[in-house]
Amino acid sequence: MATETPLKGFIPELDYEKEMNRWSHVFKFLSEPEPEVGHTPRNEVWRKNKSVLWHYPAKQKKYEIPLFFVYSLFNKPYILDIAPKVSVIEGLTNSGYEVYLLDWGSPGYEDKKIGLDTYIDKYLRTAVKRAIRHSEADEITLVGYCLGGTIASIYASIAEEPIKNLIVATVPIDFKPFVGPDKWAEGMRNGDMNIDHFIDVYGVVPPQVVDGMFRAIGAPIYFTNYTMLLSRAHDQRYVNKWRRMNRWTLDQVPFAGEAYRQLANNLFKENKLVKGELMIGNKKADLKNIKANLFVVSGSRDNLILEEQSKPIMDLVSSEDKTYFVVETGHVGLALSGLFAKIVDQWVSTRSNQL
Amino acid sequence: MSDKISFDPYESLHKLSLLWEKQLNEFIYLWTNNKEFVKMTNLGTEIHSRYLETFKKNQEALASVLNLPTKSDVTNVANLTIQAEEKMEALEEQMWELQDSVKSQSRDIESVIEVSKEIIKLTKQLKNELVQTKKELANSKDLHAELQEMKFELLKLNNFKEEFETLRGLIERGNRAEIELAGAGSSK
Repeated sequence: MATETPLKGFIPELDYEKEMNRWSHVFKFLSEPEPEVGHTPRNEVWRKNKSVLWHYPAKQKKYEIPLFFVYSLFNKPYILDIAPKVSVIEGLTNSGYEVYLLDWGSPGYEDKKIGLDTYIDKYLRTAVKRAIRHSEADEITLVGYCLGGTIASIYASIAEEPIKNLIVATVPIDFKPFVGPDKWAEGMRNGDMNIDHFIDVYGVVPPQVVDGMFRAIGAPIYFTNYTMLLSRAHDQRYVNKWRRMNRWTLDQVPFAGEAYRQLANNLFKENKLVKGELMIGNKKADLKNIKANLFVVSGSRDNLILEEQSKPIMDLVSSEDKTYFVVETGHVGLALSGLFAKIVDQWVSTRSNQL
Repeated sequence: MSDKISFDPYESLHKLSLLWEKQLNEFIYLWTNNKEFVKMTNLGTEIHSRYLETFKKNQEALASVLNLPTKSDVTNVANLTIQAEEKMEALEEQMWELQDSVKSQSRDIESVIEVSKEIIKLTKQLKNELVQTKKELANSKDLHAELQEMKFELLKLNNFKEEFETLRGLIERGNRAEIELAGAGSSK
């Protein structure tokens, strides 16, 4: 007959199975290649320079008007198709939408003169035209995420193409509110900090600088993602999700110099978009020209783009049908969880001419 | 047993690391959030840019002497490719416009053909109606001739009737005369 020692229950026992799972997953994470992303079947519609227009066919087409995704210039757009079952694009194609995605690509030194105006006028406009022709639709829905939302809004304000709906998520419109140190913003605005010479020399802003900039604004020291992984490494699903997210976070793209300069000077420094003074080619990008149905999504836990930066678009456009929606999520969580697909579907389904 | 506490220090490590991270970031924030830091960063960026610029100039000069292609040369070639792409794009769009105009012309032609078909159908119908009318006209002519004949015969009949009436009158008169003559003879 076994007798219980007085220390039993006082010293925590080791859960061997859990620990085996934890460390085998950690070992896999260290030794295995990076996880696959971009699972949804797609076709190339158009290609220019490094940019590609992708078409994701609907599983069973239910809506006449296709969705056209414009992603940020800072990161790669595969966050929208990160993994099966949680992919935003997969969710929308399963719901019956034809989806188009403009992948800006990674600019090289030769693209240093590409500015926001060139991206909008020569890339985005052409891609939208191609998508409309490819889909044989009469109208299109623009969906912009993060800086892609800013670009989509600027384009929508000067577009001659038939844009029925404009959806923007976690979008910076008003660049006055700033999440980083306020003296940095002040320095940029009063000229104490000037990046023009730096851009001229580099041509394209290296991805390390882009990454460093975001780190500096948000959290210069960041290692809790690793301790979080370690504490939940016994859960295979979490490890897979973490690895995909980690891959995307580290997969930064360079930023075309001229576009960076315009972003810093015209948008951040002079806040021209809100003032209605931004020029794209010879056209004034005034948001009041937007008459398309508007849907704005913000994350209440977004620590990169504040709600105050997105909300002003509601008063600046001329759209009669406009909705502002706040989700309890962070900047990336909206796309990473696939929640964005459901939110978009709920709003756009009644505005996409059901077949 | 479900209420057993197992060895899991990782959760505590994570909580502790969150605390450290937050404190370190707050320290950096306070340390950098001032004008002097911004000006120093600007100065550092400027010095770095100038150094890099000089280095690039020297490299370009050396590459030029050695006849080596540099990234600027690659840029020029890439720009030519992009220009060619844009020209192709413009051509493709022109072809679309042509296709569209050909399609719309085909649609017009199709509608003209449809209208022509309708006209031909109508003409045929009119022709048939004309033939029918001609036939009816011919029939009506025959009818007219017959009517004329009938009229003539009716006239004849009328004449005959008149003659007959005259004859009847004459006969009646003759009968009356005979009666009168017979009356006169008996009274004598």
